[in-house]
Amino acid sequence: MNDRIIVEDVSKFYGEILGVNRVNLSIPPGITSLVGPNGSGKTTLMNLMTGLIRPTRGKISVLGCETNDPEKLFKFVGYSTQFDALPKGLTGMQFVQSYLRLTGLDAEAAEQLAMQAIERVGLTEAAHRNIAGYSKGMRQRIRLAQALAHNPKVLILDEPLNGLDPLARSEMIAMFQWAAGQGYYVIISSHILHEVDMISDQVVLMSNGYVVAEGSIQSVRSEIREHPTQILIRCNRPRELAAMLMSSKDTIEVSIHNDENGLLLKTRSADDFYLTLNKLAMNGIEVESLAPADDDVLSVYEYLIGSEEVVR
Amino acid sequence: MKKTFLARRGLWIYFLALLPVLLFVLYSIANSYQMRQSSIVARQGEKQLTFQDLRSIQPGMTTDDVIAMLGKPPVRFHWQEHRGQGPDGAITISHEQYRYSDGVNDLYVTATEGRVENVHLQEGYNLERDSTVFAGVFQFFFLRLAVFFGCLGIFMNLFRGEILDRSLHFYFLAPIRREVLMAGKFIAGLLATCVIFVTSELLQNVAFLWHLSPAVRDIYLYHNHGLANAVVYLGVTALACVGYGSFFLVAGMLFKNPILPTAGILIWEALNPFLPALLKQFSVIYYLKALCPVDIPAPPGMPPLLALLISNPKPVSPPLAIIGLLIVAAIALYASSLQVRRMEINYTTE
Repeated sequence: MNDRIIVEDVSKFYGEILGVNRVNLSIPPGITSLVGPNGSGKTTLMNLMTGLIRPTRGKISVLGCETNDPEKLFKFVGYSTQFDALPKGLTGMQFVQSYLRLTGLDAEAAEQLAMQAIERVGLTEAAHRNIAGYSKGMRQRIRLAQALAHNPKVLILDEPLNGLDPLARSEMIAMFQWAAGQGYYVIISSHILHEVDMISDQVVLMSNGYVVAEGSIQSVRSEIREHPTQILIRCNRPRELAAMLMSSKDTIEVSIHNDENGLLLKTRSADDFYLTLNKLAMNGIEVESLAPADDDVLSVYEYLIGSEEVVR
Repeated sequence: MKKTFLARRGLWIYFLALLPVLLFVLYSIANSYQMRQSSIVARQGEKQLTFQDLRSIQPGMTTDDVIAMLGKPPVRFHWQEHRGQGPDGAITISHEQYRYSDGVNDLYVTATEGRVENVHLQEGYNLERDSTVFAGVFQFFFLRLAVFFGCLGIFMNLFRGEILDRSLHFYFLAPIRREVLMAGKFIAGLLATCVIFVTSELLQNVAFLWHLSPAVRDIYLYHNHGLANAVVYLGVTALACVGYGSFFLVAGMLFKNPILPTAGILIWEALNPFLPALLKQFSVIYYLKALCPVDIPAPPGMPPLLALLISNPKPVSPPLAIIGLLIVAAIALYASSLQVRRMEINYTTE
């Protein structure tokens, strides 16, 4: 398949140390988040996808291109790494422009594209300042500018929101969403789970070098059978509803809200619950709203990996 | 290019390249001073002497003969030595030293009790001796140390320096083949070393010729192969940069610690004269020595094994030496291209 990023049975060992093991992924367009604690293999996987390291076993292709062919690969892939070092003695503009010159653009076109990319990351004013004087957030943004300057179809961004202020963060997220809307592949790694939850089309949960779950957050959540689904129900007669729900064999726990206008249901089968909704209406219970309470990355992450490294 | 020329960790290379220039500048200053002294001595003499006059003085002649032939010495030292305690008391021996000059060459005559014991003729210009000195500095300091370590500093850092700065991934993320990247870096290193060391060699030639009078300089340059030799030295310097550069480029990719490959290559180059004929060909110095225009004669009495270090008993012809060196460099560059394809970015292990 030439329209996906395919990771086939990939393992990477650094001597005795495991980087990632037996990873299989098929990444479609949209925003894909790699989520996992430190050392879970997110950066290793990104480095493998961009050919900076080679797999010990297995193979990777990015939209049909092998990762050991940088000449083709980086025509449509942009990678913003987590390495904080930047070339010395260059301005932000020169840094982005020099990279574009390597893609074969002439000086004028490179300057134009570099300025566009710098504008997109909000660094226009500092474009002609020496990188050595940039703050951490500015360095992060200039790396992002470099990664997206040649308008790549695939953007791989390692912790792209690190060090950014809230405004820049929301601008970046808007940009990722715009890129995903255009059919681009945006792969990000992050610890900031609520942001990942907000923007991701699919997630890849990683732990100790293994992929523990992948897919859309909802589908990952529904596959976790051993954990009950939590559903938040706002209604006019929560106590009657609670009594009805307790009669179901799938119901594990029901707790009524303090304001007496809703309840939290823990059930083994969310699907069965949704099928009984019609009966509720017939009994005169008016349901104001229904919302899954743990159908987010944070909950899935906690179920699968634990909560030690979660940043809320 | 800017990074290659002005890398902070490579600034010592400029010092290394300029050291022989400094040496020849000092040599020229010392020679000029000597010339001035000689001409002062010549002016103070009673007679206008020629080189032949100076050469006519031999040990065994009396001081009166010397004075008769060369005139009263413009510079004369004399001292007395008291020897032994015989029945007649101490014996007093009279010593004298005269200095004559024809304005360029100086004659030092040492006499004891009125008889010449020792004669030392110091030639102001000895182009053969000077070109041998130049060849010695070129072969033993410039090629084997300055260019060798200069190439080490520049070519080892082409990739190793980027790894230490954690900036190599920026190059690897560019849409260019890694072999092309390697070739680009090699050319940058080659330009830097050639500019630095060829300029140094040029300045050494200028400094070396500076103290010569225009007439002697013309003789040296146009009738004594001086100009041709200077051009050959420049070419050999550039070829040394190609050869050592390719060796150190591949070493910089294979080894984290530069000491091991440096010591290995240094020993390999030093052992070259003792290696079997086939292995000799995988050395840079083997070809460079064959290209050097002036042979350095082994000093008399030097053990044959050590003399091998100086002379090249079976040198290859210059065209073969150039081709051979380029082939060795090409093999090293091919090994580099294989290695660069395998390189991974893993700064944490560096």
